[in-house]
Amino acid sequence: MGKEELLNRLKDLVVNGDEEGIREATKEALEAGIDPLEIINEGLKKGLDIVGEKYEKLELFLPDLVLAADTAYAALNIIIPRLSERAQEFRKGKVVIGTIYGDIHDIGKNIVASLLRANGYEVFDLGSDVEPRKFVEEAERVEADFIAISCLLSPSMFYMRDIIQRLVDMGIRDKYYVIVGGAAVYPEWAKEIGADGWAKDAEGAVKLCNLLKERGKEVEKPVLVGKWR
Amino acid sequence: MTNSMVSKLLEVMDRTLIGPPISRKEWDYKLVPRTTMRVLKDHGLERTFDPNNPINTDLSLADEFWEAGFSLAVELGMFCPETERIVKFTEEEIEEALKNAVSEVSLGKGKDRITIKVRVPEDPSPPIAAMSALGLSVSEELYVPICQSIAQYRIVDMLLGACLDRLHGREVRSRTPYETLAGFYEAKLVKEALHRAGRPGMPVFGVEGAPTEYGFFGGFLPGGFEPECTLAICLIPEPFTLPHRILHRVAVALITGTSIEAGHMTTIGGYFGPPEGAALGAIAAHILQAASMQPTVIESTILDGRYFGNCGREALWATSVANQAKSRNSRSMVLGITSQVAGPGTDMILYETACISLAEAVSGAAIVIGTRPTACKYPNYCSGLENKFCAEILKASAGMKLSDANYVVKELLPKYERRLRDPPKGRSFKELTNLVTLKPVPDWLAIYEKVWKELEELGISKP
Repeated sequence: MGKEELLNRLKDLVVNGDEEGIREATKEALEAGIDPLEIINEGLKKGLDIVGEKYEKLELFLPDLVLAADTAYAALNIIIPRLSERAQEFRKGKVVIGTIYGDIHDIGKNIVASLLRANGYEVFDLGSDVEPRKFVEEAERVEADFIAISCLLSPSMFYMRDIIQRLVDMGIRDKYYVIVGGAAVYPEWAKEIGADGWAKDAEGAVKLCNLLKERGKEVEKPVLVGKWR
Repeated sequence: MTNSMVSKLLEVMDRTLIGPPISRKEWDYKLVPRTTMRVLKDHGLERTFDPNNPINTDLSLADEFWEAGFSLAVELGMFCPETERIVKFTEEEIEEALKNAVSEVSLGKGKDRITIKVRVPEDPSPPIAAMSALGLSVSEELYVPICQSIAQYRIVDMLLGACLDRLHGREVRSRTPYETLAGFYEAKLVKEALHRAGRPGMPVFGVEGAPTEYGFFGGFLPGGFEPECTLAICLIPEPFTLPHRILHRVAVALITGTSIEAGHMTTIGGYFGPPEGAALGAIAAHILQAASMQPTVIESTILDGRYFGNCGREALWATSVANQAKSRNSRSMVLGITSQVAGPGTDMILYETACISLAEAVSGAAIVIGTRPTACKYPNYCSGLENKFCAEILKASAGMKLSDANYVVKELLPKYERRLRDPPKGRSFKELTNLVTLKPVPDWLAIYEKVWKELEELGISKP
């Protein structure tokens, strides 16, 4: 199989959400001597772009989006160790993510987690209905870079502030970028509680993490990605 | 609570402990979407969405959707997230539940008492108009005026309170005693609003501001929501799930003798995929909730995941075909929701309201809840007038033909559908309402009158 064909196959496997298939195809592509960067940009990323476009047009749907992202992540897990000195570029950071206490909605959070993984982040998903202290404990345990908090219910939003306050009280606020999102969360709230960023949607969350990772020390907080109507 | 009710709930609980195990990921992202798409294909229902006819007029199509929904319900069952097990029901159990479904209930007191009855498409009697600032966060000081401003209109049959943002100035934190107290407080405030509106016996829903079971329990304590006047809200945020935390609410509703509003939400673009999949999912979820939750009414909301409302072409069509399927093929009562993205004080919210209210009502909904301005994005962005308008459209729909409703919706959609993803914010309650009289400000009233004139020109008579 030629290079072009192998890259197209990788792209198609991402679109089809075939985790099993992509592991094999990724190894084959690496063995064929294709540059890992090319595998990522011309295979995996193109597949994710197609899924994103089709999702927008109602040709593919939420499960396709999540499975495609998980498939790309499965390939990245094989590729990243082969990147040696260039690996750092793709190991973008560690994210502890969860839906806040009292809130059991986790669809949006799952999409964010999947897209972050597909974009090179190591994600520690705490699930939904997570107590504030658990976000902090997990971030400390895994030495995270980001704490990402999702919320769809107004009465649970207050717990977002508790996480930040806990970080302040422990004297470790500056160790983490705290980002927030979800249907109940608006930009002003991010500002009010002292979060580092807010994103409107899952793609925005990836952009937000990238931006904070690259220029987090320079930019004014909170960084807002997307428009709140 | 009868022995039979206890037995049914215990049986469902038992199944959540012993049903076939499955992981959340396998259920959500593989089993549900793949089975849905396969059943759609098996029944020849793929690509049946007709963008040129946003209200379905082909009732044989609706019946085929019902058959497919029944198959899907039997094949899938429900997922219990706490135990990660599937709760299955046999065909016979489902048929029995549907046969025994409640088809009529009276709620409320005195002259405000109403009867909700099962309806069919093109039914000559109108649905019950249950009005609200649905799901909207509302300031403590405005809670009673907002509810009163809605209940003051005699055309409104039922009231659903909004979500209280403070409790005596405190943040209402979920799963804390604040929430428990807020559930009870909501009941007090709703009753106060009804008293001030001169409609003390009006039936209501409880508890709207209860993110967890704590608020729900608080609302149904003695002195809170009264069983003979209330529909107990037992909504499941994710389709086809049967969480213990929702069954807590079912248990309390049964113990207190309160009629149950079961409910679910399916999203176009979500687990069930295209509009056809969302309609199919809504039908199957309705059937499964009839079998598992002992409901009096079953709410079904089909939102479009691209803008989180239900007033676009795809959502209107899916809502219409799903409601027609359910109302023609079972005796269970369908509760519909109107979910707008525009803000109050705009013509767009009225166009949206007209379209979704017609779609729900002519397709057989027994009761419809409105309104949900800005899809709940902006606290206090609501008023009484869009609710009065919604109730008027629901009443005007009595006896209307599906084809006539489809014609009206086709005329109205071009006026707003391009703005669904960037809708106008509108104005807040204080900006739209005279706070002394609770009547709308003149320019908001003028917009309302302008839109009604347009509707009358399209053949709808103002009730």
